[in-house]
Amino acid sequence: MPGIDECLLEAMRLPGARGAALVDWTSGLALGVVGEFPGGDAEAAAADVAELARLAAEQPAFAVAPAGDPGPGGPGSTGAADDADPSVEDVIVSNRDGYHLLRFVPAAFDSGAVLHLWLGRAEGNLALARIRLGEMAGRLVLG
Amino acid sequence: MTVTQAPPPLPMRDKARDRTAEAAAREGVGGLSPMLTRLAAERATGVLVREGGALYLAGGLVLHAESPYAPGIGTLLTAGGVLPAEEWWRAAGIAGDLPGTARLLLAGGRLTPAALEICHLHALYDAAYFALAPSSSPGRFHYGPAPDADGPLPAVPVAAVEREVLRRRALLHRLWPDALLDGVPLLRSTPVAAPGVTTRQAAVLSLADGVRTAPDIALAQGRRVFPTLVEVRRLAAAGLLGTPPPPGAASPPSELPDVDPHIALLKRVRDALEAL
Repeated sequence: MPGIDECLLEAMRLPGARGAALVDWTSGLALGVVGEFPGGDAEAAAADVAELARLAAEQPAFAVAPAGDPGPGGPGSTGAADDADPSVEDVIVSNRDGYHLLRFVPAAFDSGAVLHLWLGRAEGNLALARIRLGEMAGRLVLG
Repeated sequence: MTVTQAPPPLPMRDKARDRTAEAAAREGVGGLSPMLTRLAAERATGVLVREGGALYLAGGLVLHAESPYAPGIGTLLTAGGVLPAEEWWRAAGIAGDLPGTARLLLAGGRLTPAALEICHLHALYDAAYFALAPSSSPGRFHYGPAPDADGPLPAVPVAAVEREVLRRRALLHRLWPDALLDGVPLLRSTPVAAPGVTTRQAAVLSLADGVRTAPDIALAQGRRVFPTLVEVRRLAAAGLLGTPPPPGAASPPSELPDVDPHIALLKRVRDALEAL
């Protein structure tokens, strides 16, 4: 069973991987960083990742529609205990230069953790990376 | 004949001062605690006890932090249902200290190392935020024995903790510039055109009863305190959360001026501008 660094090093073995980080999306803190960071500043990159992850996690449009409920996020919505995990699984951003994969880490506690993998455009295999990152995120906390 | 006078110059922000503060925040030397800086420089080992909490130091690293305002690693793990509370306390009873407890739980296979590391870092930074909050009384340092070197929990350099505390303060300040909300009782207010809230925010609002503070709400939920502080500031900015009136004041329902949403909004804008 891996620790944070082992998981990030495993992610770095994916083809085209340039950098990997585990970020707390509620605060923007980098819990672990391996490899390069976009823009060269690990803290700034983590804050940007957290911002994007928060947007994706909180917008009702991206949430799984619960059966028989008009949607979460209304003023009347009740604080269920199951909201520690956002229903969004991952967020993918691509640009001319590369891909950014954000994968929410499922956990039974309030982890707020999201895996961020930066792939080079030429060597990166987005489909493979998405599958592998999903597996890693699943194993990270749940074992 | 009318004489046009040049208007008086507009007040300028002291950019130099702002920059210095920002630079200080970046460097991590913002006078958080001169004592901590000195202890880190001499690589002291022991416990720094301040008003808001305690930092466990060794060789320029923060091993662990505790605060009565931040749920500890045990609370975070057991409240979420990752671990039954009895199991945590049994391990803690046998081991006697945090690294030992962590080692026992890892050996029992109940937790992944990453889960423990994540929880530990969350608890450490959350407690450090309160431990390094501005305080009226000086801190005390108790020198102690060096801990075992190969603990399973990650330690963090003092400078990184200082930088993160300053970054978090700035983050909260940007959301709603009222640091008092970190520690005072909170009460939900009822604006006329309430904006939508997230599930997390709704959970915070449902616990804001005029008695609980933000740390109380986090404890009641078994959640980390910093995300709760973030939600409290966002809710305050949205006008959904405030502080209850002092006991001597009129009861809130009969207070007429606040009923007018426009006046309430103007008051919030005024408060926000004054706090800048």
